[in-house]
This record gives sequence, structure tokens and C-alpha cells, in this order.
Amino acid sequence: MKNRFPSWTLGLLGILLLILVPVLYYLPRAQSKNNPAAHIPTKAVHVDHKDIVKGEFKTGQDVTRACLECHEDAAAQLMKTTHWTWESKAFDVPWREDDVTIGKANQINNFCIGSQGNENKCMSCHAGYGWEQGRETQQANPENVDCLACHADPASYGKGLFGNPAESVDLLAAAQSVRAVTRENCGKCHFDGGGGNGVKHGDLDESLYFPDQNLDVHMGGDLNMQCTDCHVTKDHQILGRMLADNYTIDPQEQVSCEQCHVNQKHEDERINTHLASVACQTCHIPAIALEDPTKVTWDWSQAGQEGREDDHFTYLKIKGEFTYDKNFAPTYLWFNGNNEYRYILGDPIGADGVTYINKPAGSIEDQNAKIFPFKVHIAKQPYDVKNNYLLQPVTSGKDGFWTTFDWNSAFELAAPITGLAYSGEYGFTETYMYWTTTHMVQPAKDALQCDSCHGDSGRMDWAALGYPGDPIEWGGR
Amino acid sequence: MKKYSYFTLAGFIILVLAFGIGTVLASPEPAPEQQASVLHPNFALLDADGVNVLESNNAVSTMQTCGQCHDTEFIASHAFHSDLGLTDYTASKDSWDASTGTFGQWNPLTYRYLTQNGDERLDLSTAEWLMLNGDRVVGGGPATTSRTDAPLADVKVSKENPETSILKNGSPTAWDWDASGTMEMNCFLCHLETPNTAARADAIRAGEFGNANTATLLGLNIVSDSADGWAWNAEAFSEAGELKSETLGIQDPTNSNCATCHGEVHPSTEEPLTFNACDLNYPQTATTGQVISSQRINESGVNLAGKDNLDRSWDIHAERQLKCTDCHYALNNPAHVSEAQSSNPEHLIYDPRSLEINEYLQRPDHNFARGQSAQFNAAPEYKGTMRRCENCHDYNKGHADWLPYVQTHIDAVACETCHIPQMYAPAIQTYDWTVITKDGGAVKSCRGVEGSPNSVTSLVTGYEPVLLNRTNIDGKTLLAPYNLITSFYWVYDDANGNKRPVRLADLEAAYLDNGNYAADIVAAFDGNNDGKLSNSELVIENSAQEEAVKSKLLALGLNNPRMEGMAQPYSINHNVTRGEDALNDCKACHNEGSRISQPIKLAANAPVMPAFDAENNVNGTGEIVTGADGALYYQPMPANDDMYVFGSSRVSWIDWLGALMFAGSLLGVIGHGTLRFVSSRKQAKGQVRTERVYMYEPYRRFWHWLQTSSIVILLFTGLIIHRPDIFGAFSFRGVVTVHNVVAVILVLNAALSLFYHITTDRIREFIPHPYGFFDDAIVQAKYYVNGIFKGEGHPFEKIPTSRMNPIQKATYFAILNVLLPLQIITGALMWSVQKFPQFANALGGLPFLAPFHSLVAWTFGTFIVVHVYMTTTGATPLEAMRGMVTGWEEVEVHEEQG
Repeated sequence: MKNRFPSWTLGLLGILLLILVPVLYYLPRAQSKNNPAAHIPTKAVHVDHKDIVKGEFKTGQDVTRACLECHEDAAAQLMKTTHWTWESKAFDVPWREDDVTIGKANQINNFCIGSQGNENKCMSCHAGYGWEQGRETQQANPENVDCLACHADPASYGKGLFGNPAESVDLLAAAQSVRAVTRENCGKCHFDGGGGNGVKHGDLDESLYFPDQNLDVHMGGDLNMQCTDCHVTKDHQILGRMLADNYTIDPQEQVSCEQCHVNQKHEDERINTHLASVACQTCHIPAIALEDPTKVTWDWSQAGQEGREDDHFTYLKIKGEFTYDKNFAPTYLWFNGNNEYRYILGDPIGADGVTYINKPAGSIEDQNAKIFPFKVHIAKQPYDVKNNYLLQPVTSGKDGFWTTFDWNSAFELAAPITGLAYSGEYGFTETYMYWTTTHMVQPAKDALQCDSCHGDSGRMDWAALGYPGDPIEWGGR
Repeated sequence: MKKYSYFTLAGFIILVLAFGIGTVLASPEPAPEQQASVLHPNFALLDADGVNVLESNNAVSTMQTCGQCHDTEFIASHAFHSDLGLTDYTASKDSWDASTGTFGQWNPLTYRYLTQNGDERLDLSTAEWLMLNGDRVVGGGPATTSRTDAPLADVKVSKENPETSILKNGSPTAWDWDASGTMEMNCFLCHLETPNTAARADAIRAGEFGNANTATLLGLNIVSDSADGWAWNAEAFSEAGELKSETLGIQDPTNSNCATCHGEVHPSTEEPLTFNACDLNYPQTATTGQVISSQRINESGVNLAGKDNLDRSWDIHAERQLKCTDCHYALNNPAHVSEAQSSNPEHLIYDPRSLEINEYLQRPDHNFARGQSAQFNAAPEYKGTMRRCENCHDYNKGHADWLPYVQTHIDAVACETCHIPQMYAPAIQTYDWTVITKDGGAVKSCRGVEGSPNSVTSLVTGYEPVLLNRTNIDGKTLLAPYNLITSFYWVYDDANGNKRPVRLADLEAAYLDNGNYAADIVAAFDGNNDGKLSNSELVIENSAQEEAVKSKLLALGLNNPRMEGMAQPYSINHNVTRGEDALNDCKACHNEGSRISQPIKLAANAPVMPAFDAENNVNGTGEIVTGADGALYYQPMPANDDMYVFGSSRVSWIDWLGALMFAGSLLGVIGHGTLRFVSSRKQAKGQVRTERVYMYEPYRRFWHWLQTSSIVILLFTGLIIHRPDIFGAFSFRGVVTVHNVVAVILVLNAALSLFYHITTDRIREFIPHPYGFFDDAIVQAKYYVNGIFKGEGHPFEKIPTSRMNPIQKATYFAILNVLLPLQIITGALMWSVQKFPQFANALGGLPFLAPFHSLVAWTFGTFIVVHVYMTTTGATPLEAMRGMVTGWEEVEVHEEQG
């Protein structure tokens, strides 16, 4: 079979190569399409637990014990996370001698102020049971881990006092409904944080349970992305850090657009020249709280008025006066991913009348900073007039402010818990808190365009950002 | 807010100071923007005598007021916006146009004619011209000065003189300029943030020209109109009697200022854009559909077809915050001095000698840099002074990564052609003044809208501009987008033998009788006999109607009345889009139904054949044709402009001839083959002794098959380039690339093969020997027409050193020496058009080369048919082909010759 491949086939091959190689070399190539969706992580297929989980469960801890029989490491893994500790790692901050930790467990925000002494209410969003046992005992016991909060179908599960399951919950049904985490699980706490739908974030609220693509291009439409598609989770360690509960954040620990939008550039070179100074979010989240309003001011000093009518959006006797806003442009600041300042209990209040609960770090000189959208929440919070620091009241419970409407007793009650002395004289001062705007990314066609920021009716306050004037005329940095 | 003005310079210093002192920290409350206007000093408002208006209570004089610091005389005399053709004004026997500007050039849309001195009939006098057009006349020029360069007030009043009269109730009456006053160039109109244009227009329409400029200040809390004349508000003035500048808001002209006269401009606000379409108060929008706005089209309030997907802005330059004055700048503005550097000696890149900012502010040239639009011809000496696309954009950088033949495209196609692919606002299509509506208007039609142009229920469809060749000042001719507006009107010869448009007054007299259509007009036009004339009946469709109107015009004493029509191109240069929304599909032009030859509708009904307006820089080389729907169309004819567009242009006789040649040879070989087949069945086999010979060494086979593949690919890709319409699946650009690359392979292969044949002496095989050639050829031909059917042996032996018979030698000699070089040369020349167009142009350019290339291609195709057939005439039908594949061929042995 010498002539299996006759010699002329070699010639044919040569001719083909001679023509094909140059043709293919010169042929205009379509730009390879960058498909960000290809980077969405694929997750393990979920096993239906309906027939696996057997009762009988009397307490949440009973359920956890059952879970841990198979998922042996789960509790240990979860207990390393801030979902459990409600406290950050230790930070060395320049304005304090000792290292500090930040979190809902030990610091305050400018919504419901602080959880210390208010565990019966606040811990309904903690991924654990048993806060009636006190913090130390509660935190030490793996059986207190609340698997159901994140894994049960929220339709069959809810939390009540001290982080324990609500009394009406059928624990067996809840346990049998467990599954991979969905937006509904995260949304229970993160959409309703601060005491109701959309209160805190402005870019996270209940409209994201069933979002339209025009509301959120990732969670809506065909992609129907879940939180964990970006907040990639391995061994219960969830990617992403909350600015307010940290001082600095290692970029490795943060979620970024580039996880999926790898090396993706705009067709328009002019837009690309913005990338060094403008975050993706700035243009692609042109407005926040698109459907559901978010709280923008909260005046605690008005709380406790007798006879004033309650209204969810303007006044509640227990909480004071609020304003909500909807579909509005965020506030833009230079931001390098860290806080320049985070209020630590005991810090003095601001000298000029404004105390920052947190203040994003960055300036026009900071090459790592980009212009970034924030929701600003402005509150009036109680402070100790003599000691000149913010006070954290006990609000819940039978002796809390919400029952007694007596600020003095609320502060006195809190003093031994927070360790901050109360002088007996309180006032109210303005506090600012900055929330990054990074969800509710809208389709590209709705992104900001040149005149949204530049020109006479542009939305940027160039002087405040440190520019001599509109960079379209004065030049960028 | 021009960047380099004194104001902003000072503003910069202030901002830098503020920046240095203040903290840089962001605060939630935005600081108010610095207004340039506060930097303009306070100044006294002076009347025409130079007296402060607070004392005189007179109207303000801009020349006196602004002239305190700025050289207003210089400004007014260097401003074509003010002059409007006055300095050019020369009465002409040959043309009814007396100047190049609005003052003197007849516009068939606005229709009314500015009567020349000595005309038989008065239509528009200077005063009435001003009353009609004054909204959009800035003042000065014809509003203050006579055609003979004297102040209007000094012209001797006579009702015979169109400069000092006005048509009242059908007869000329004297006009007293002293009473009406004249209208100085109105600085406020363009330099105030909110000039009161409505009050100004009222004053102008009332003929109170002297009050127009003061009326511009009404409502600004500076002056009010009282029964005793102007009442100046002392509170707006400082103790020194100077107007507080901040109350006035003096500024560099904004887009909104320009919009007052030029067309629709929508500033960047949340408010959805709506526009007045086909309304000559917004001329740029009316005539072309251009709308200057940074808003996304789909966010505007227009009921626009397919709007949802139009997420680009109306105008990319508006979106990117360019202002009208960035391109149309004052010519001596030192900020734009680099534009004037073209006259530098060759060695000098930059000449720093330019006006100081104070010199500029004192005497800013108000002749603004302008383009080369077809219809606006005032100050033609300034045409082409503005920044054009290429002054800011490097077309090579922007196109190199995807557009083949960049330079070829740039040399033939204006940027606007692709970057303004579609207009999204309606534009005027027809103005028919051969008939008039009851309110004395033309019968109009608008393109780009279904229904009435400004009704909210109408669907705006927009339109694709027609592409016409424009000859620029620099002599370059480029295809550019236009709207064509066709107007029809009556003309007559006046007593002086001058052709004039029939006056509106005469038209009204002919058509109307006490505000209704005259009975004989109704009789002639009332198609449905309902006693009324609807708009659709208002068209002259037959000679009876024409005669009816004509006889009435004759009765009015108009000599030789007749209808004329004119199709006028209106340039489209704004509403530019970025590349991704531009025309960027090759097949948009390189195809059947090319964008380049796309017709545009002129008029649904044409009372008379219109002529293409010749008085501009646009070449009307197309044809005006009647479409299948009976409407009149303008059909561009690229061939008339010596344009050859691959895929779109073709010379039909070449294709017919080529196809005939190809089909003929195909039929021939089929016939010959059939005869051979039939006759071979009658012959006994094996008459001729054959022998297996090593005929073709590897290289010969290799170059032959490489050449075969190349030619087949070239023919096929060439056909696709020629007729992309029947090969829709292929990417035009890709096919062109394959064609070019394979052509290079073919040329290299041919060259190497030639080298081989020369060096090995084998070239001899291809050279027919003159001695006995014809005899031998006849012998061979006889064999093909006779012997081959009888099973005779080939007359000439095929041996490795002499494989070709005489006819083959002659054929290859022709192909290799004539056709192949011709095809290579024409192909290379066509390719070279992008870099060295002079060579191709010397040989007739693409319009000659491309059809020639096609013809030779047809010949090659024909050759292949015959060649392949001839290979079957070997010992067995497939033997020769096998020889060319394996090298070994069974050939006849001719012992008597051997």
C-alpha cells in the first residue's frame, strides 16, 4: 500500500495551504465578542432535601444539629464570617490608640443607631439563634447557627425575637425546603435593612425580588442573576464587604464588575478615556431607588411626640421624622474603596455640626480613586452634650425608648452595655452616612451620556470634586 | 462661554483662588455655577445721540452703547449676519437675484420678491421686507442702510422707489423712515441670556424699527413701554447711571441664541424634545430636518417610528457639549488662531503673532467661520472657513481598523454621507405657488411624516437624505447628503423685459374674490363638483386649469405668464452620529439599490417639470423622472459624475457580451462533445496505439493547479463583488479581501512559473513557430471538426518536450501575453486607486478600468470552459486530466513521425 497517499495529494495540500494561509491571515476578523455572562459561576446542582430531612424539630438548634450531621463543617465555616460575628477584623485607625473592630455588634449606624441592648429586635436579621443567652454564650455555640435564614424558602420561615425562629414557623417544613441561597433569602435582611423596604441602601430593595431588566440588567431579564453569582461564595465565605462596616477593604475581598466584564471596553474611545477616573457604577446606575423609595433623612429628635399621627413615610412616634426619595441621582464622590473615617463609639462628634458615621476615602489626587455614586443618609442622632460623643439608646424591650419614650432612661440603660457613660444631658446632632451605589445597574442604553455630567445642566459638582471647572473644558486629571 | 475671553480668564483666576482657599471636600449641596456675565462691567445705556437713556428716555442705541468699549462700527461692517447681501446688491438684467444674500436673493419658499429699483410692479419694498423677515434679521445692513450705501433715513422719499415705499391695498405708498426709525445691529439678540425676541418681533412687524432693539430688553426689569415712550427703570442702574451688568446677563452667544433664527435647538434638560417641523420660522429644521439636541432620540417627545431603538443622541456634537460657535467662530478670535496658520511660510509650524485678547474684544470680527452650504450664499468669500470634520478628526485613525480603501472613500464621500445616515425630523418636500390657499399660502408637502407635520397624532418617519456631488472651495468633489425641495411658481416678463415671479398680490387677485376662490377658478379646479376647493384639488394638472389661471394673470396685465419649477438642494451637516450608528455596512452602497443612487421624491404632483437649481455648488447630474406612482423623483446618476461603485455600477453591454461568450462556448463544447460521444459509439476501439508517458514533472503540475484554483476563486469572488445582490450570504468586505489576496498569489505564481519556463528553456513550448504555423493550425482545426469524430489519431504528437498542438500554442500565447497581463494591470490599477489614484485616472479611472476588468474576466471564464473540454480529447476523456494530476499520461504514439 505504498500509494495510499499518492504524491499528488501532497501537491494538493501545498496548494490549499498556499491559498488558505494568506487568505485567512488577511481576512477581516470580526472582533471576538466579549461575553460577560460566560463568567457567571456555575454552581453545584441542588439536592432536594424534602425526603432527607426528618423531624422532629422543637427549636432552631434542633434543625442545625440535623444539618450538621451531614454538613459537618458548615457551622464552623459560617462562624468565621461577619454574618455571624457582626464585627470586622481589627483595624488600626489613626484617630484611636487601640485597634478597633467595626460591625453591627458593637458600633452604630445612623438608622436604628445600634444593636447593643436591642438584641431581641435587631437579631432577627442575624444568622444565628439564642441571643437571649447573651453575646458570648450565643457566639460560642455552633448549634446557634441559623441555617434556615439563608437556605430555607422564606415563604416557610421567618425570624422572631433574639434571632430565634418566629413562633408560627413549622420547622420541619422549613428545613425540608432548604436549597441554594436565592435573592429572596438575602433580600429578607438586605432589602429591608434599617427597619423596612428600601430604607438603607437605595440600590437594594424589594423591587429586586422580581426585577424588570430595565431596573437591574443583571437580576432582571434572562440572566436572572442571584446575589451569589457576584458575591461568589465558597465554604460559606461570601465575597464582598460592606463599606460602612469596615475601615479599609482589601480589593481581593470586594466584588467588582471586572469579575465578569473582563477587559471589556466601550466601542467609544471617548468613553474609555473616562475609565481611569469614573467607576462603572457612576454611568451605569444613573438613578437609585427606581421603584421603591429609600430613606434619605431621619430625624430622631422628633421621636416620642404625643398625639402626632404615624405615617410610614414621614413620621413614626418611635423613630421620629423621615423623608424618602425615589428615582433620584446619587451623590458623587471620589472613592478608593476604603473609608477615610468610620465613627467608633466614644469618638467626639464633628466640630462643625456634622458627624460622619462613615466617610468614603479618596480625592482627585488619589490615583486609586474614581468618581463613585453614593446614597447619602442624613440623620439627627442623640449625643451626650457633656461628653461630646454620640449616644446609643436602648430602644427595644419593655424599658426601651420605644416603650417609655424617655431618652434619659434609654441612655442610662445603655451605659453599662456600651460602656459609654451618660452625663445626663443629651442633644441631637447631624450625622452623615454614605452607602455605595452598586446594584440596580441599568441597561447600557440608559447609561449616563456626556451631557448628563458635562455642560450647564450636568449633574456633577465639579468644584466639590476638586476640578477647577467642567473637565470637558478644563481638562481631566 | 468662549474659553479664552477676558471674562473666563478672570473667572479662572477667581476659581483658582476659591479652589485654593476652600476645602476640596465634596459637599452634598452643589455650589452654584460661576456665571461669566457678572464679569462684564456695568455700562451706561446710550441713545442714538449718545445721551444716557435715563436722561433722554429714548430708545437705546446699541451702536452707541456697546460702542463705548467695542468698536461697533467695525463689528457691524464685519458681519454677514448683518449685511445679508446688501454690499453685494447689484440689480441685474439676467437674474432676478440682485445679491448673494437674503436681501436680494429670491427664495421660492418665502416667495415674496424684494423689488428692484425700476421694476414694473412693487412686491416687497425694503420696509416690508424688513417687516416680514425682521424676526430673523439682526439689524444694521439693509435695516439701516440703502442699497446705494446711504443711511435709509437720508433717501429721498418717493413711492416709486422700493426703498421708500410700501405696498398698501395694492398700490405703492410712501414709507417714512424718519417715523419708523431704522434698526441698528442688535447686540442684545445674541449676547443676552434671555433677549425678548417676541417683543422685538412685534415691534418689527408693526414697522417700528427704531424701537426693535429696545423692545429686546422688555421684561428684563430694565425698561417698560409706557404711553409716553420708554420708561427706564432707575433701580436697574447704578448711581452712576450705569446698567448693572448682572441684570442683563451678557454672555457669549449660546446655541439657544443661534436657534432664535436658525432652527430647533433643544438644550440638555430633562424636558422631552418636541419641534416645529416644516415651519420656516425654524429654517434649518424646516428645510432639512436638522435638530440640534444632546437628548437621546428615544427620550424625546416626538412620535417617531422605531423610536425605541434609537438610543443615540440627536447630535453627537451637541451631546459632547460643543457649541455652534466652536466651529462657527469669529474669524479673528485668537483662540482659533491656529486655523489661520495655513498661510505661514512652509518652514513655520506656528506663528505666535496674533491678536491680544483685548484687541479681539474691542474689534471681534463678526464674520463667522462658515461652511459651504448650497442655499445660503451671503458672503461667499467666507465659504469653507469653518472647522470641518477633518480639522478635528483624523479619519485614518478612526477608520483604519475596519474600512478598506479609506483614502478612496474619503476622496469621494463626505463624512456627513455616512455619519448622517438618516434624518429623524420631517423636512419640506414641495412648495407649490402655482396655486394658493385661501390665506395666501403655497400648497405644501413635507417628507418624513405621515400626516400633518406638527400634529401630535402624526407619525414621524424621518427620511434618508439624497446623496449629491458637492464641489468644495478647494475643488474637491464629494458626495454629501441633501434634502431636495421643489417649488413651483408663476413668472412673467415685466415692462423692462425682466423675468419676475408673479407677485403674491397678483396671485391672490387671480385666485381669490373677496377672500374666497373666484368662480372661474372653482369651475376649473373643482374635480368633485362640490363647489369647494380642497387642498388635494389645488393643483394644476391639466392645460385647462393652467389656461384658466394664465388668462386671469394676463387680465391683470402680466406679460407672458408661465409656470416654472425648481428643485433646490439643502445641505445637511448637523445631526452627526458616531460610527456605530453611521452607515457602516459596505453593502449599503456596494449593492443593487445602492444608497448612492437612491432616488428622492420631489413632488406628488408636478404642474411643470422643475429644473435643478444650478446656482450652487451641487452637481445636479441626475435625472428627474416620473415614478410608477406618478410622482416626480430625482434619480442620482453616479455614472454621470464619473463614479464607479463596485457592486452597484455596471456596464450592461459588457455583461451581456461576456455572458454571451461564456454561454456560446458552453453550448459549443456541449454540442461538440455530444457529436463525439455519438460518433465514438460507431467506432471500433483501440485503433490508436497509446503509451504511458511521464508528461508533467511535479512543478508544472503544481503551478498549473495553483493557477487553476486562483483563477476559479478570482472569477467567483469577482462575480460576487460585481453582483453582491445575488450573493447576499457573503460579506462584501471579506470577499474583496479574498479577491485581492488570491490575485497576489496568482501574480506571484505566474512570475515564478515564467522564471521557471525561461530558465529551463521550456518557454519554447509556448511559442508558436511562425514557419508552417498556419498550415499546422489548419491541420489541427480540421482534426477537431472532422477527424476527431472518426476516431483518427491526433495530428501532432504530445510528448514531454512538445506537449502542445499549434492551436494550443496560439491560445496560450494570447492568454499569457495579452489577457493575463491586461487583467493583472487593470486589477492592480483598481487596487492602487486607494494610494496612487493618478495612475488609474490617467487610464480613465474606475469607470473604464472596472468594466474592462469584468470583460477580461468573462474571457477567462470562457477559456476555462473550452480548456476543460479540450482536456477530454486525449486518449480517453479523463486521461489528460489524470496526466496533470499524476504526471503520467497515456498518449498516442505516432511511430511514423517518431
